[in-house]
Amino acid sequence: MSLDSVLLIGGAGFLGLHLIQQFWNESPRPEIHVFDIRPIPDKISKYFTFDPAAIHIHIGDLTSEDDVKLAIKESNPSVIVHSASPMHGLPQAVYEKVNIQGTANLIKCAKDMGITALVYTSSAGVIFNGQDIHNADESWPIPEVPMDGYNETKAIAEEMVLKANSFDEPFYTVALRPAGIFGPGDRQLVPGLRNVLKNGQTKFQVGDNNNLFDWTYAGNVADAHILAAKKLLDPSSLHQVGGEKFFITNDTPSYFWTLARTVWKADGHIDSYNIVLNRPVAIVAGYLSEFFSKILKKEPGLTPFRVKVVCAYRYHNITKAKTILGYKPQVGLEEGIRYTLDWMNETNQ
Amino acid sequence: MGKVTQLLAHPTELKAALQLKFFRKSMYPIDVNSQSETEKTCYKLLKKTSRSFCAVIMELNPELRNAIMIFYLVLRALDTIEDDMTISPDVKVPILREFDSYLLTKDWTFNGSGPNEKDRIVLVQFDVILAEYHKLKPEYQDVIKDITFKMGNGMADYISNEEFNLNGVKTVADYDLYCHYVAGLVGEGLTKLTVAAEFGPASLIDDMHLSESMGLFLQKTNIIRDYKEDMDDGRSFWPEEIWSKHTEKLSNFTKPEYLQDGLNCTSDLVLNVLEHVKDVLIYLSQIYDNSTFNFCAIPQVMAIATLSAVFQNPLVFKQNVKIRKGETCKLILESRTYAGVLNIFSKYLKTIHHKCPVSDPNYLRIGIKCGELEQFLEELNPNPSHIPKGAKPMQTVYYLNAKKKLELDQSIVPILKKEYSTINTVLSLFGCSFIFFLIFAYDFAKNSAV
Repeated sequence: MSLDSVLLIGGAGFLGLHLIQQFWNESPRPEIHVFDIRPIPDKISKYFTFDPAAIHIHIGDLTSEDDVKLAIKESNPSVIVHSASPMHGLPQAVYEKVNIQGTANLIKCAKDMGITALVYTSSAGVIFNGQDIHNADESWPIPEVPMDGYNETKAIAEEMVLKANSFDEPFYTVALRPAGIFGPGDRQLVPGLRNVLKNGQTKFQVGDNNNLFDWTYAGNVADAHILAAKKLLDPSSLHQVGGEKFFITNDTPSYFWTLARTVWKADGHIDSYNIVLNRPVAIVAGYLSEFFSKILKKEPGLTPFRVKVVCAYRYHNITKAKTILGYKPQVGLEEGIRYTLDWMNETNQ
Repeated sequence: MGKVTQLLAHPTELKAALQLKFFRKSMYPIDVNSQSETEKTCYKLLKKTSRSFCAVIMELNPELRNAIMIFYLVLRALDTIEDDMTISPDVKVPILREFDSYLLTKDWTFNGSGPNEKDRIVLVQFDVILAEYHKLKPEYQDVIKDITFKMGNGMADYISNEEFNLNGVKTVADYDLYCHYVAGLVGEGLTKLTVAAEFGPASLIDDMHLSESMGLFLQKTNIIRDYKEDMDDGRSFWPEEIWSKHTEKLSNFTKPEYLQDGLNCTSDLVLNVLEHVKDVLIYLSQIYDNSTFNFCAIPQVMAIATLSAVFQNPLVFKQNVKIRKGETCKLILESRTYAGVLNIFSKYLKTIHHKCPVSDPNYLRIGIKCGELEQFLEELNPNPSHIPKGAKPMQTVYYLNAKKKLELDQSIVPILKKEYSTINTVLSLFGCSFIFFLIFAYDFAKNSAV
């Protein structure tokens, strides 16, 4: 079955725009439909070369059966890609509505409408609850106690999607677990580091900088989705892919502060020395910071949560994605950082 | 005296030196009485030409000991011809090209070496080497002859290469090719001997890039380390493709104003060498015989330690940077098991990672390469505490080979533990005695004063 049309759920978001771009680059190019609660932004980065006028937009609520079915009917997609997800730091109710109810609704609608392929954007975070992750592969279990509400709902949604896979109906599903997504449109990773630079805090190193971290360029994540979609449409490979999950990274785990300093260096800043806070000291400082921030009613810069995150090992073994999907990251970290900073400069952030 | 004070400044290395000298037991002691006269003479030649290598060869399984000794001496003879500047090229080149045919003779020798040529004796007494060569198993003789042919011709080609002699190494590909002839072929020969002895799988011969990396990892490390010495000799082996990114003339790095460029160049070169680490670790995981494993592993752990020492080190441009004698002893002791080798590599990779300044143009590349290798080390020998309940390590070929090797090593772990506990006991006793002596001396002095 060929890739004639694609419906991108959440296509107006950060990863969504990269999905549009990568599907746009495909030859032959499929019809590209976007379902989101808002349209594609009027101003998008010069990095993106697709023609917004050629993208079919469907505005609606993911939890509304009517909205989703109408979009499916109008787009008649060969495959649905579901990357809609709220950002970190929002209330639990939002996660449950979008990630769980929204995903459940999408699965139901897709089946009712006779769609056979669904690619879900899960998260590498589903296996993380604060402990170190050394070279994790897909055999690692979901922790019984989730790190937070976001990861909990992503894990539940992922399970729903994979369980919905059926070679009989037929309804084929796959879940991709990207780690540390960054790129043009990123509002957390690289912008967060740039804020540290603006606040003059780049000298501080929390932890010993021996912990490896996986970052993944957004364009590479989008590539992985296209590969997965094609595999689901290909009878010779769908049994290997259907019902499976895959970690997606840049396949270049790097030390946390080395990545941070690379961003600052690309921004023209290099410190002549560093002040190192080891993990236990930093956690105590985090508690104190949190305590005083409450009194002063300010947002704390340092929290025990953040200390644990920046000190944790979080790197993954993506052999499965490389061998079964044929995934190979096209954009390296350095290049990806450059694209991201160029985009930030362009939008004057 | 320098060595003693150096050791005292590093107590764990002092302990390692004592352990190595007095407590390590040889797996295969040599019975001098059963050696023939020519065999004894060969070992004397070996000792004369390389004391450290001699010590390593002595530890080998008897099945391979003489074969590798002869292999070494033959290559040394070849190298002595090649190095000798008193012999004109038109005499030298034919000898190098037909050197393998001399192995078929019984009495060939060469007396044309310059009087000051350091190892000329291996050529003057080459007939003794030949006598032992012909005693080797035919398959071992074939390997040595084949490598001698390839290496002799490689050397002859370089002597005739005016471009190379005038301007040194140009591209990274040229660099790899040069190192192939100087060191990669040695790795190939040792691999074929090891497989012929059934101390490693036949697949090592199909995967010749692994043994190639074993040779190149050592040679490239030495080339970085020997910058000053080679410059003084009017030679250069740093590839222009790399150093020209940092300066217009290689000799600039000896000047203070070019120091930063020179340091960045060492990063570039080290990054290139680190490409071989995975192959080295894969190769070592497939060597079954423990003495052969030690023979292969010791130079590799020395190389990673040296690489860490030369990395971003200003002294590289003033002298040969060497690792301390005590550190050497420690590395030899710790590299007797595969797990020990992996730990050593992990430690020095972290050192390289931490030494890299942000300003280095290769800062992220070094970080990524070290990260990649740490990931590989974790794949080969996952720390059990790193794997959650319900998960299991990915059963890759590399993981399974490493696991098998680690299991084989279990048979020598008790021997090592006993050795370590013995040295600890002895040091404790000496420590107690010394304290008692001090107390006694103090009391005696006090009594005398009264």
